[in-house]
Amino acid sequence: MLDQYATTLTFIALGAIFAYSFYAVLIAGQLSLGQAGFASLAAFSGASLAPSGADVGEVPALLIAVVIGMSVGALAAVVLGLPTMHLRGVFLAIATLGFAEAVRVVLLNQEWTGGAQGLGVPRVLTVGMAWMALALVAYWFWRMGRSRYGRALEAIREDELAARSMGIDVGRHRLAAFVTAGAVAGLYGVLYAYYVRLIAPGDFDFTAAVEGLVTAVVGGSTMFLGPLLGSGFQTIVPEVQRAVGVEAGWIRPFLAGLLLLVVILFLPGGLASLIPRRTRMPSGADDDTAGLAGRRHPAAGEPVVTLAGLGKEYGGVHAVRGVDLEIRAGEVVGLIGPNGAGKTTLVNMISGLVPPSTGSATVLGTAIGSTPVHRIAAAGVSRTFQHSKLFNRLSALENVLVGAHLVSRPTFLRRLLWLPSARRDERAALRQAARCLERVGLTSLAATRAEALSYGDQRRLEIARALASDPSLLILDEPAAGMNHVEAAQLSQLIRSLAQDGLTILFIEHNVGMVLQTCSRVVVLNFGEVIASGAPEAIAADPAVIEAYLGSADDDVDGGLLAEGTRADATPAEDAPPDAVLNLRPGDAGSLDTPDTSPREAT
Amino acid sequence: MQQLLNGIFIGSIYALFAIGFTLVFGILDRLNLAHPAVFAASAFVGIELVERGGLSLWAALPIVFVFGAVLGLVIERVAFRPLKGRADAHFAGLISSIALAGMLVALLQWRYGPDTRRFPPGSFPDTRFEFAGAQVTLVQVVILVISLALMVGLTYMVTRTRLGRGMRAVAENPTAARVLGVDVDRVTAVTFAISSALGAVAGVLFAINVNTAQLGMGSAIELKGLAVIIVGGMGSLPGALIGGLLLGLAEVFAVQYIGSSWRDVIAFGLLFVILLLRPQGLLGARKVREV
Repeated sequence: MLDQYATTLTFIALGAIFAYSFYAVLIAGQLSLGQAGFASLAAFSGASLAPSGADVGEVPALLIAVVIGMSVGALAAVVLGLPTMHLRGVFLAIATLGFAEAVRVVLLNQEWTGGAQGLGVPRVLTVGMAWMALALVAYWFWRMGRSRYGRALEAIREDELAARSMGIDVGRHRLAAFVTAGAVAGLYGVLYAYYVRLIAPGDFDFTAAVEGLVTAVVGGSTMFLGPLLGSGFQTIVPEVQRAVGVEAGWIRPFLAGLLLLVVILFLPGGLASLIPRRTRMPSGADDDTAGLAGRRHPAAGEPVVTLAGLGKEYGGVHAVRGVDLEIRAGEVVGLIGPNGAGKTTLVNMISGLVPPSTGSATVLGTAIGSTPVHRIAAAGVSRTFQHSKLFNRLSALENVLVGAHLVSRPTFLRRLLWLPSARRDERAALRQAARCLERVGLTSLAATRAEALSYGDQRRLEIARALASDPSLLILDEPAAGMNHVEAAQLSQLIRSLAQDGLTILFIEHNVGMVLQTCSRVVVLNFGEVIASGAPEAIAADPAVIEAYLGSADDDVDGGLLAEGTRADATPAEDAPPDAVLNLRPGDAGSLDTPDTSPREAT
Repeated sequence: MQQLLNGIFIGSIYALFAIGFTLVFGILDRLNLAHPAVFAASAFVGIELVERGGLSLWAALPIVFVFGAVLGLVIERVAFRPLKGRADAHFAGLISSIALAGMLVALLQWRYGPDTRRFPPGSFPDTRFEFAGAQVTLVQVVILVISLALMVGLTYMVTRTRLGRGMRAVAENPTAARVLGVDVDRVTAVTFAISSALGAVAGVLFAINVNTAQLGMGSAIELKGLAVIIVGGMGSLPGALIGGLLLGLAEVFAVQYIGSSWRDVIAFGLLFVILLLRPQGLLGARKVREV
């Protein structure tokens, strides 16, 4: 009974293993077609270097070949990965494809591979062995899914820059995913060789690579069962057609293409999206075990950020010029200034996203400049972005879990072995994430995908994600943008309560009223330079600040206007004399933009 | 000299094929893997027009051009438009165009069978020229002239016309283009049509050059097309031209001096070196996509 389908079943397993080698990188958002090359190298080296079955027995020979093949595949992935990991998207796909084709042609021209005639390999693999190997591979990816490592890969897929800012070493993770792909492709190559009896370099060509990619995508590249479903689909469709009597010829490929098209157009997540996905909910009650390893925060008053003559120039335009600033632990510093004043550039430099052109800066003991973003995050800097950079296809809770990357322990390898300590660590991370969600009031939306949240909720989720790493310095880039005044008041309260916990906060905001209310110190930037710095009351009365915002001090607008947080009307632009209008140009958007300022009920 | 000319002839076909590829990528940021199927389909259609329709070779070309344009519209409508706005549109577009390409090739097999087809004898004028000691046929000269003319025409269209301006606007920023009144859907469809029309002409010219058409001819040139657009710079039209000619010459000389079995390594060796040293390609600009 089973014998009749043994071939089909074996090919399903082999196809699925190959598809897993694509899944391994797709999950991190990388499109690679080099797997055919890895499989090819592994198949030929495994089959020719392994001892013959007559000497050690057939199954041990296969096992030795598998070890050789997987090592060769992984090694090839390192060699190919090191120079190509900086490539993205289609560029990576084509570079890796180029590698695979080069491997094919080179092997074709070697003596030891048998060239175009191919290399004879004994058939050792049985359907049971194939499925056992598949089960191991699937198990690997299943356990990876909910580990810290698996989450980091998904975060990289969704938004690489945000992942970096959460402290994830993107380069290392991408290379690790690539090497996994190489090893799995190597496994496929060897198993394939020990099943089909005769392998030729042409078996691992462009068509084969595309087939593997298609299988992975059809099955679904965001869920570990995807490649298996994809392979079942791709293998069974022609079998069913044969069984119902569709003749060989054009109809079979036509129908296969049509089905593929239907799946890809109508099932965005692949076949795996038909399986309901269990969403994780924060486990509340059991607070018996300790939380995550916290970090050592600087004591109140110690310097957190020290900027000395910091400047950034873009092609002759000074976005930021000669900024000297010191932020001490426990301070809440508001950074205001008209649009284009250089606020975001300044915080981008502090968080390591943008290297400064001049000057120097130390953040939490780390010199910025050539230090990668994830190192600065590791030093205790956490931030939100002006335009939300959430991990869109992950749930709110998962977003925050990624935020906890730096303070949680790696769990993947321990999860493979089902060690209880991994479970404990995951629970601790979950509790941490749940606490952060609760703090911003999103507990009820924990299972919602980030992209489905309302704008205000997305902003709050960004804050929760930034909090999850237990930062020493929290940078908020326009957190209240687009919020109504009730939400802004709640946000202001949240920021003050975070400050009470001893967190140092630097935030950019156009809502001047809110800044004046929330901060212990306000820094005003205009044309890239600090024009004022001091206590909120002093700033609100500072003529230079008023001029920057409203155009000119002799307009009939007094400082009290700002202090009260009333809307800075559009009128100055109309009332001002012509020269003042010119003066106001760079700043006018800033004042007009000022969204419905200040929580009125608070005054 | 003979080799040099041969390299230029085959290279101009590669360039024409790659330019269609790179046009869609440069403007719409999508890789259309159904392009090689258009290439193959048009070769068969071209042969049929000459064989059954009794048309001359040159009368068949404009018809094939239109045929390619229509196929391009179908590809856009079926494989790309439904994916608009999806987070995974990039991967999904690759797969849907592969699926559509599979269907197209299956239809070709249905209509023309699996065998290699040729133009009927006597389709080609047998005028020959001597050029600096090398043999050149009229057909080869015409291939070169048509390829160059189409590429010049395309460049003119992209840089000088209203439609071309729309294309460049879409390439920069589709949302902004829409706000400014560019009909993005129309520009997208037209881009696909032009791209496929060029691919179709390249297919017929290729079939004329080697006097064969095979079901697998699309996949054979697909890899070369990818190599050309990377070498030239993704999305760069002059880059595709230079890349195509370079590849044609490199192949011909590789066969001459190294051996035919290594021919394909040249394309990918070149590709690899370029990607490592200059990922944006010879004429590509990083980030700023040009058309």
